[in-house]
Amino acid sequence: MGEEDCGMTVDGAFMWALILLLFSAMLTLIRLLTGPTIPDRAVALDSMTTTTAGAMVIYGVVTRQAVFIDVALVYAVLSYIATLYIARYLVKKRVGIACECEEAGT
Amino acid sequence: MNFEELFWSLQVLVAVGLLTSAIAAIRFKNLVSAVIAMAVFSLILSLEFYVLQAPDVAIAEAGVGACLTTAMYLLAIKKTTDEEVIE
Repeated sequence: MGEEDCGMTVDGAFMWALILLLFSAMLTLIRLLTGPTIPDRAVALDSMTTTTAGAMVIYGVVTRQAVFIDVALVYAVLSYIATLYIARYLVKKRVGIACECEEAGT
Repeated sequence: MNFEELFWSLQVLVAVGLLTSAIAAIRFKNLVSAVIAMAVFSLILSLEFYVLQAPDVAIAEAGVGACLTTAMYLLAIKKTTDEEVIE
């Protein structure tokens, strides 16, 4: 029981990993708030979704319920579609550096 | 670290993220940035349903919030021809 207070058991390690993953998601949220361009914000959204899906899987491990991992799978697939739509919009509107380089090259 | 401390730490982080993304979605001038902030808001709301032991509601929120709302708002913005702030 002495080890459990220090957070050195397996569950304690998973809980600290979960807290650190959500804290890194909050740091990504700062990039989303102060991102100067729209592609910065789109990449911040994608990174935050990936981090939160990992946090959902770890939460399912901590509470020992296998149903919770399905939510992470569904969210990963759907956020991919959302990122794809945002990228298509940015390519159509020619926002960002990559489109300008392609336009200058051709 | 027991489960109660983990639960309250998660609640605090989720509340901070919800408030921040909601204020950002209201105050962004660019329309696409506001849509991205709405996607982040629905992501954190899905995490809140998840923490409160409702995984089916979290799946529904993920499907509607992440995919449908973002795609439909972007299609609507693409159809409009108003003056738009591009940073």
